[in-house]
Order: sequence, then C-alpha cells, then structure tokens
Amino acid sequence: MSELKRTQLYDTHVAAGAELVDFGGWEMPIQYPSGIIAEHLYTRQVCSLFDVSHMGRLRITGPERKAFLQHVLSSNVSALDLNMAQYCIIPNENGGAVDDAYLYLFEEDSYLLVVNAANTDKDLKHLYEALKGFDCQIENITDKWAAIAVQGPKCKEMLTAMAGGAQLTEPMKNALGTVSLEGHTARVAKTGYTGEPLGYEVYVRSEDAAWLWNRLIELGARPAGLGARDTLRLEAALPLYGHEMGNAPDGSEIPIFAVPLSKFAVSFAAEKGDFIGRKALEKQHSYFVKYMDRDFSDMSGLPRKIAPIALLDRGVMRAGMEIYQGDKLVGWVTSGTMVPYFKTEGEGLSTVILEASGKRAIGLCYIDNDILEDDTVEVDVRGKRLKAVIPARHMSVGAPPFARPLLYGAEEDAHGVGSGDRAPKALELLKKALENHEWRQEQCINLIPSENTPSRAVRLLSGSDPACRYAEHKKILAFYDKEVFYYQGTKFIDEVERLLVEEMRAYFGCTEVETRTLSGQMSNMAVFSALMDWKNRVDRKSEAKRLGYVMNNHIIKGGHLSAQPMGALHDYIAIDPVTEKPAVVNFPVCADNPYKMDVEETKKLIDRYRPELIVFGKSMVLHKEPVAEIRRFVDEQNIPTTIMYDMAHVLGLIGDHFQNPFAEGAEIVTGSTHKTFFGPQRGVIGVNYREDDLKYGLWKTIESRTFPGSVSNHHLGTQLGMLMAAYEMNQFRDVYQKAVIDNAKSFACSLKAHGLDVAGDPAIGYTETHQVIVSVGYGEGPNIAERLERNNIVVNYQATPDEEGFTASGALRMGVSEMTRFGFEAADFDRLAGLMADCILRGKDVKEDVKKLRSEHLKMRYCFDDAEIDEALEQLAAKLV
Amino acid sequence: MLYPVELQYSKSHEWVKAEDGVTVVGISDFAQNALGDVVFVNLPAEGDSVTAGDAFGDVESVKAVSDLVSPVTGTVCAVNEELLDAPEKLNSDPYGAWLIKVENVEGSEELLDAAAYEAFCTEEG
Repeated sequence: MSELKRTQLYDTHVAAGAELVDFGGWEMPIQYPSGIIAEHLYTRQVCSLFDVSHMGRLRITGPERKAFLQHVLSSNVSALDLNMAQYCIIPNENGGAVDDAYLYLFEEDSYLLVVNAANTDKDLKHLYEALKGFDCQIENITDKWAAIAVQGPKCKEMLTAMAGGAQLTEPMKNALGTVSLEGHTARVAKTGYTGEPLGYEVYVRSEDAAWLWNRLIELGARPAGLGARDTLRLEAALPLYGHEMGNAPDGSEIPIFAVPLSKFAVSFAAEKGDFIGRKALEKQHSYFVKYMDRDFSDMSGLPRKIAPIALLDRGVMRAGMEIYQGDKLVGWVTSGTMVPYFKTEGEGLSTVILEASGKRAIGLCYIDNDILEDDTVEVDVRGKRLKAVIPARHMSVGAPPFARPLLYGAEEDAHGVGSGDRAPKALELLKKALENHEWRQEQCINLIPSENTPSRAVRLLSGSDPACRYAEHKKILAFYDKEVFYYQGTKFIDEVERLLVEEMRAYFGCTEVETRTLSGQMSNMAVFSALMDWKNRVDRKSEAKRLGYVMNNHIIKGGHLSAQPMGALHDYIAIDPVTEKPAVVNFPVCADNPYKMDVEETKKLIDRYRPELIVFGKSMVLHKEPVAEIRRFVDEQNIPTTIMYDMAHVLGLIGDHFQNPFAEGAEIVTGSTHKTFFGPQRGVIGVNYREDDLKYGLWKTIESRTFPGSVSNHHLGTQLGMLMAAYEMNQFRDVYQKAVIDNAKSFACSLKAHGLDVAGDPAIGYTETHQVIVSVGYGEGPNIAERLERNNIVVNYQATPDEEGFTASGALRMGVSEMTRFGFEAADFDRLAGLMADCILRGKDVKEDVKKLRSEHLKMRYCFDDAEIDEALEQLAAKLV
Repeated sequence: MLYPVELQYSKSHEWVKAEDGVTVVGISDFAQNALGDVVFVNLPAEGDSVTAGDAFGDVESVKAVSDLVSPVTGTVCAVNEELLDAPEKLNSDPYGAWLIKVENVEGSEELLDAAAYEAFCTEEG
C-alpha cells in the first residue's frame, strides 16, 4: 500500500491500533479496536474524533473569487456571511454532481472549499477548466492544514475548555470562529457529517494535528474511523458521493434535485447569473415543484429521489439491492447497514437515554418519486424479498444536545375520541381546576417573568357581563371621526373603552392608543401589517412590497418570537434578493456581555442597511434598550425609519425607574398587558404621532389593521378588567415599579451570595428589569426547572445567547413582579434564594419551606382595598356566581 | 487471537468439533475479528442439508456480508437460535457461540489442526 497517501495523523492511528484501508487513495482508519458500533454509540453519547484531513481543502483568492464560485457552485455565495459556512454542490452541465462540498468564509479575502478526498483531483480539473476568464486563484492547501471532526454532545465543553472559556462560534449550525486552543491557532466550524447537533470541524496547522488529537483524547474524546462515520451519516440521512450522488446502481447519473439537500444547496438567484448546470437544474426544479403538489403525471425529467428506507423484516440492506413494489422495480438501496442506537425510557422532555442499545437495519435509497412517505416496499436481499418502509427520517436533531433516533412505528398513538357520560368528567374538571388554582395561588412561588396574578377586581370584572358580547366599532369621518358601534347594548363598553384609552395614554405618555388587540403578538402583526400598507399607499395597483430591512434582536440573544420572521413578522418581511433570506438585521451584542446591545456597532449597521423599521425589545431582558441614542443617531444621519419598541415584558415598568420609551424617541410601543403590567391577557399599541404629522396616516392604518384587520370580537370582559388594571397601575405605578426593580437586583445578589451563577453585570446588580438569569450548566435547564417545580418553585428554563435551543438550555429565567405583588421584599427573596440554592446545588427537598414562605404572602398589594371597594366586589361576586 | 487446540479449522475460517456424535460448526476468532461487529446472522433450518465447501448461511457485519461455508456435508440437526437476537456473541465468544450442529456427516473440507490453522492465518493476515 506504499503508493497510498497518508494524513498528518497516520502515525497516531497506527499507534492506536486502527485498522487501515484504502479510501479514495488514502490510507485511512476504518475502525479502531473498539469497533464501529462502539464508536457510533460513543459519538452519540459523549464525543468522537474523526480524522478528516484526507478531504480536499482548496483556498480561493483573487478579485473575482465570488463571481467564480457563483459560476461553479450550486449555492448562492452572496448569502454567505463572514464566519459562516454553507453546503453546496459542484454541478456539471447536465445537472448532475461533480461533487458535493462545503464552502467556508473564515476571512473576508478568501474562501475555503472542502471537497471529497476521492474527488479532489477530478474537482480540481473541473474547477481549473471553469477558471478561465476569472481573475482568481485556487490553491490546494490540503497538506498544510489538518482537519479533525470533533462530534458529539460533549464536544463543545471540551473545545471550550481548551479555548479558555472563549466562545468557539455562534451557537447556530454552520457558524465559524477562529480561536486559540491552548496557544495553537484553530479555525473552528460548527459543521459535521455525523448529524450531531453539537459538532465541530477543527482546522489546525499540520504540525499541531497530533497534539490536538491527543489532547482531546485526554479530555475524554475517543477516535472513530470511517466505518462509524458512515453509519452516523447514514442515520442522519446525509448523502455520500458515489452512493447518493454521482451514478446510480443502474449506471445513470443521479440528478441533483433527487437529493433532498438540494432544496437548500441550489439557488437560482439572479445574482448567480448563468452558472454551470443552471438550465438543467431549472428543468429538474420544475418537476420537483409539481411533486410538491403530488402531481406525478410526468416524471420523465426527474424520475427518482433519494429517501430514507427502513427494513421491517429481519435482515440487512446493502447498497445496490433492488427495491420492488409488487413486480415493479421502483429503485435501489444506495447505502444500507445495521445501525446502533441507545434505547430510551419515558416520553417528551422527560425522556431518559438508557445505557442499553439496540440495532436497526436502515438505509438510503434512490426510489421512484411517486413512492411516498410511509409507503411499504420490498427489498431483494440476495434473492429474498424483505418488507421495508419509507420513513420521514431516521433521526432528529431537534432536541439538542443529543441526536435522537426515530424508530419507525414508535410514534405515540393518536389521542382517543371522547366518549361516554360527560357529567362525571365535568365534576372532575371543576375539582382539578380548584386544586390547580390553590396550588399556584397559595402554595407556589411563581417566578415566570411573563406572568402575573391580576387583582380580584380585575378577575371579577373580566368575567362580568360584557364578556362574550360584541361591540364592533369604527371611526366614521362623516360623524367627525366619532366611534360608531354596529351593535346595540354597547354604551357601557363604549365608555369603558374610551376611559381605557385615556388611562393608557396617560400611562404611556403618548398621543394615541389602540386597546382592542388580544395579545402582544396580534399587536405586532397589526403594526407590521399597517407599516406594509403605509409603505404601499402610493401604489395600490401593483403587488404590495414587504418590509425590508427590519432590525431586531436575534431570538438566541433574547429577541421576541413575535418580532421574528418565524413569528409575527412572517408575512410582512421581504426576502433579500441577494442573500435570498428574510431581510432582517440583528442588533449586535457586546463581546463581554451578550445581554447588552453594542450601540456603536448597531449604528454602523443602521448606516449600512438603512432599515425601514427598528424593533427594540426582548423576552430575555436585563438591560434598558438604547432608544434615545439610536433616535439621536437616525435623526442626525437623516435616516428615514420607524422606531418601535415591543415592550411585552417590561410594559409594566414604563416610567422613571426603567424607561420612558416615547420621551426617548420611540414612535410605536406594543406590548402584552399581563407580564409586568398586571392586567388580564391582552395586547396594546401606543403611538406618538400628532394629527399634523405625516405619519398620523400610519396611526389610522394601525387602527384599521386592528379592526377589521385583526379582530372583530375583541373580548369585552377582559377589556373591562384591563381598565381596572390601568387604574391600579396609574395609582400605584411609582411604588410598584421601584419595588420590582429593587427586588430583582436584591434577588440576583442573594442568589449569587448563595453560590449560584447569576448572569449579567454585577456592577449594576445584574439587572435593570424584573428579570434575573441564573446559569445552571449546559443542557441542565429543563432538569433543574422540573426539580424546582416539584418543590413548588415555578421558573422558565432558558437557552442563553451561547446555547443551541431550548432543550439545550443551561439557564433559568426568572421574574420578580408576581411575588412583588404578593408583598415579597428583599428578606423574602433572600430566603427564597437560599432554598433555591439548596434545591439546585444540593438536591435538597425544600417543598415544605417553600409552601411556608408562600403562605406568609397571600395578600395582594398595589390594588384598591378599602371597605367600599370590598363591598362593591362582594356584590359583583355574588351576581357572578 | 485464540486457536483452541481441541478444534479443527477450515481454510474459510469455520471451526469444527465432534460432540455427542454430531459435528458442531462455528466461526473462528480470526474470522470474527476480520468481520468486525457482527450484526446479523442468516442460518439454515433444522433438517436442511449442507455440503462441504458450499454456503449454508451468511453473517453480516456493519461493513459487509460474508458467506458461511460449510466444512462438512450432512444434515442440520440444531440451529443456535440465540444468535438471531444476539449476533454480537460471535464477536464476544466465537468458540462458545456455535452456529449449527450437523448429523449424518458424510465428508468434509480439508481441516487443519490449531497450529496449522494459526500458521495459515498468520500468512493470510
């Protein structure tokens, strides 16, 4: 085997007892002494190392590098931001794949293209031919830099420790970073070929390769060979060139659109021009689009697709085996083997991964496009027909930090249809509701920052007569813009609504208020819809243009779901034609405090993108938003924009102890009325335009996008409750808000003093809001939150700005407003902090102590409670029962 | 690598042992090591006849499938059903985890003793 190439880690593999094979001209480890199954399982459970230094690493530089890559790759290179990577395919003119690859942008002036080892020479030949006419260079740096894939749930912890705690990359997939690992420069990519939600590919200089490998093994990683790499990628249904790309078992070329990943990897952006294979790919895509509607009348242009396949009978599928439906040959297995998995116990978030493992025969296949998910087929396994099924997927990465197997047929049974006598069920419901009410109101300490308990008056009013009635109304110009109601019997609610608007105007310190929206989300949708309508007011005859750019807080950095393209912004945000992504720009955060906006960097982005809407506001919020600074900047720079502040969480803190958004320059404030503001669950919109302002027309549009745009039945009962809450707030505002913020700071300091890891800046008492964030260890958030609930302390588990998603949450998010309303003061929060530390750090059962602490605080503050009020409440309550 | 002296071996890496008048067949330690993790075994049924030098079943590892070649000619009188659920026993205990028992044995492949088989494996491997 002397002619085979060896990677920088060859000696390391030999020393570890690896079994070496010829892989694409490279002498590579197929497995280590522990074997493929153990290596696969260790990757899913802890962390494995894969030598991927054999893969071709091509550096592309020169002034026309981007135009060249747009020409030779399937993806939209303009969509690639600095410190991000993208999956792509190198197409040929027929719409087949020369290879698949990953493109990395580690530095502004060069791209790194990583290709399959066995294809490197072929790829280089193809790329050099296409290079003619482009002013750029390709350099093969495969032997200068080594590449090690570090994959599995513990990899982040290991590499972060080696980086001295520095952030490796942003937590999203495909993010890149350049860090120092114990003094050695490393390029780190959050990418991989195992399907692990936590996985990195680390590039180091060749001379550092063995050091990094051995150091990671000291930290607990184990080596894994190409065998495990294959079973892992198969379970993740990732394509392998030569199996799912290139030529099919019948010798025909597999079209790129047969591969599901092509949906992401192929772009027809105008920006890309006439790239290699474009025409053929557009034709394939036209078939693909018809298949989305299950129109299989003509499959000539794209006959088959790559899909997962799972064997139902005993046996093993292998690449090349034929697949039948009846007598009809419908495709071939392209990859297949027996793949191990960890068994689990329990369900949902409390699913426990066991030590015991099982095995299943799964694969990928190239199969007729009209074979659908859940269809059964037969695989010819050496002359025997074995039953198989086309599952949606073999595995899910949706609950990090673990990749979780999806065993075919293991889904929960559908819920039963209700039947039988309902009377006992009704009684049971009432008993349970009482139990729940007593538990939350008398025995629990409620620390969910987006919740509160409304006063008795608010509750009673919310259930009193206008509840469940209609009062549609609209301002009519012919009556000098007086509200005209469409129903009779509404004079009382008419007055209530007018009074509520007045109270909320006073509370906000603004000119106009809309109170009919039912939630914060609906308030945002009404505003976004109005902004879009306002933008298109000059041209009603063309397709309405969406909003873009919009600046907001990234959801991982604490941004509201309701201000994201996946939330309320969904139907109103434009797609940037250059990047083909929603035209959203996120506020940058400070390197030393990810909870705080970096104002200077934000100004640069505003200058660059000229956003037409800036949306402040977060749901994980420790700091004030820099409204005044940004207002000053956009005014000075004459940047036409709208400044909106989604104050959902902090609506009840508007004032001198926190922020006065309108005084600071916000034009629109939205919010929900039941978080720090202790009303019933509704939404609200305030704007600060005057009748002679140009944008007063935007306010009129917001009104019409509320009714009839968003709601016709605006829940009159809770509007009545909301008026009472507004009276309470305006009466007790100053003392309540001061108490909330003082309590949050003192609770944070107490938690810290009791040994917990409190996030934020100690110099300001960790928080300027009602929220306190405590780190409890990566991925531990859900477990700790569940343990606290068993001890009657109700909190949110929360992903911090460095974490992958809610199941990987390492923090608790807490708010003090509800317990402040029940009279908690610094000493009470200190007692609570001690109990929480006992429960979190020492696993102590503190339930009885928690119940006792709560039982001392059952009387609500910051509401009206004189004798006359009490008597009126009794009369109302008597009528309601 | 273990080569128990009480067994005989075929050049296709099966072992053979005479026990209570029947011939017990398995795969050698060398074979299981070369296969890697065994994940599935296909065995004949009781009463099937097997022929020396012909495949009587197959064994699948994660990497590939390999034929099981019968070292003897005769009739299968017992099958190790346990291996259907726990094929990994072929890796952990190759000389305990037998595959089939054959009766009415009429002939066999060329069989080697432990020393000759070890020499054969050293040369091959």
